[in-house]
Amino acid sequence: MTQLLRPQQVTAAILAPAAAPIGPADRKWVRQRLLDAVPSLVEELPAPAQVVVTVPLLRQAHRDPEALAGPEEPFAWKPVFVRRSLGLSAVDACFNHRFSNPGEAVGPLADEAAAEWGRTGWRTFHWEPWMAALTPAARSVALAEAATWATALWSSLDWGSFARTIRIGGPDDQWVCTAPRTVRLKGRSELQISLEPTTGGGSQRVALVSVASGMPIAGWEAELGFLALAASLRSPSRPVPARVVGLWPDAGEFRSVDITGEILVSAADRVIACIAAIARARRSMVS
Amino acid sequence: MVVMDIDRRELRTQAPGQEAGRGEPTRAPGWTPLAGNALLDRIRVTGRPRPLADPERVARLRESLEQGLGLRPDPASVPPPSHPASIRALLVTKDRLTRALRGQPQSDGEIQPPTTALACGALIDGLFQQLITIGTIGDPMRDGLDGLGVDERQAQLVTWIENLPASERGALAAEVVRQSADLVTRWPRLDPAWLPRTQVPMRVGVAGGSVELSGRVDLAIGRPGLGVASVAIVEVKSGVRRPEHRHDLHFYALLETLRSPAPPFAVATYYSRTGELDVDPVSDELLASAARRTAAGIRALGEQAIASSDPIGGAR
Repeated sequence: MTQLLRPQQVTAAILAPAAAPIGPADRKWVRQRLLDAVPSLVEELPAPAQVVVTVPLLRQAHRDPEALAGPEEPFAWKPVFVRRSLGLSAVDACFNHRFSNPGEAVGPLADEAAAEWGRTGWRTFHWEPWMAALTPAARSVALAEAATWATALWSSLDWGSFARTIRIGGPDDQWVCTAPRTVRLKGRSELQISLEPTTGGGSQRVALVSVASGMPIAGWEAELGFLALAASLRSPSRPVPARVVGLWPDAGEFRSVDITGEILVSAADRVIACIAAIARARRSMVS
Repeated sequence: MVVMDIDRRELRTQAPGQEAGRGEPTRAPGWTPLAGNALLDRIRVTGRPRPLADPERVARLRESLEQGLGLRPDPASVPPPSHPASIRALLVTKDRLTRALRGQPQSDGEIQPPTTALACGALIDGLFQQLITIGTIGDPMRDGLDGLGVDERQAQLVTWIENLPASERGALAAEVVRQSADLVTRWPRLDPAWLPRTQVPMRVGVAGGSVELSGRVDLAIGRPGLGVASVAIVEVKSGVRRPEHRHDLHFYALLETLRSPAPPFAVATYYSRTGELDVDPVSDELLASAARRTAAGIRALGEQAIASSDPIGGAR
């Protein structure tokens, strides 16, 4: 059933009490499932090939595997690559009451980042040199992209309901699978929110929030589960995220999935299927 | 009945039966475009109560769309949560709808040769976005080209503009300069508290996701997600007023209603060439009419896809 983005409902879904945590045996089993399946899939890839599995790649492999055989575009900065990092920075600044809305925040934050890079050479976002070289008109396109993206996120949640234990942005969850070729799982969530400890104590558990463009398509549970899988593999000592909530602002929809052993297995199977599709596509390119 | 809340001074000058949008509109002597707060008030103050969030409205519109497609959903059944990834959805945009309803072939995948009108529209769209975002426009042609230059999809258009003969480029520049000066003069700085956002993408799946309604609006103002209509949608057009522009707006009103708790309270087209502003308050009648037209367009698109040699037509 369609779940429309109403801030209070989405926020309540994020903060709902967590179900029982996944035990260490289940986690190990999922990890082993990947370690058993992945190496043989990639061993024939030419060195130094590497495979980086992300949610967009999972989606592409599921929806349009033939496209995996196409040539990769050389990387070049463009506004769409700036919007998430600058947008999250704007949302963070609004959450911390530095600005009242993302539209006000993006310009000053971009200026500060560029000035910091100019002064110290430090690149917080990586796009600072590119942005600094843009004309005001071109720069405004990047700012507009970020403002629109961040406003959609800012309008989707009831931010006053979150305690200070929220991480906005932050590093990706990455795990490298031991295999003849490098296989890296990279989970990127936009928010990480600590949940109230369940009765009886136990470790602090978190909910992850992911923002995607377009609209949800079949398989969204495994895609959201992938983010929990990557977090689980990266930090075996920390509890598996309790749930992952996906926001599709373009469609005005959200979905929530509580992370169970079955969801992790289904995410791992999607990863295995994705890597198999990539390996097939790359072999077809070579032949 | 769809309310045509265009400038009433202009309506009074039309001969009986004359339709706004057929050629040059006639304006009353002394007519001046709205500017500043008056322009915003025309969008914000519709004179009607703002619609409330109503899940039943959304259900009715979806049902109307799906019945219009020839589907007869069982009211007891739960619609599929999302369409299978391997089945490509039929893409429905405002332009595809209009072409299909006119019986014109779709031009998917074809590279449209640039024209001066297309170039002017793209430049003005970018300059409007710039004005809303940073509040200023420098040299309009330079800024417009710089803005287009960071979008690789516009590379062909930028090259075409840069290679125009001097006289044509001069004429284009003169028009862009004139229209952008008017934008700067007439559009006030929007209060950031209204959350102005530009080039807002909208996607809605219907019929179990086998049809994807898609749009991108030039400007949305107002906080979404509330229990009462709080969003206004504005499209900017650099050319002459045409009847289909109003249909485009209503399509966007439908999309916003289907993806949000509440519909937009108003949809508007701003004509940067003349400063005219057409505003439609959004009502249930407007939305129902838009749903009927959209369903008819989807049927026509489906027929085109079947008749076409390309089995998936414009599917994506």
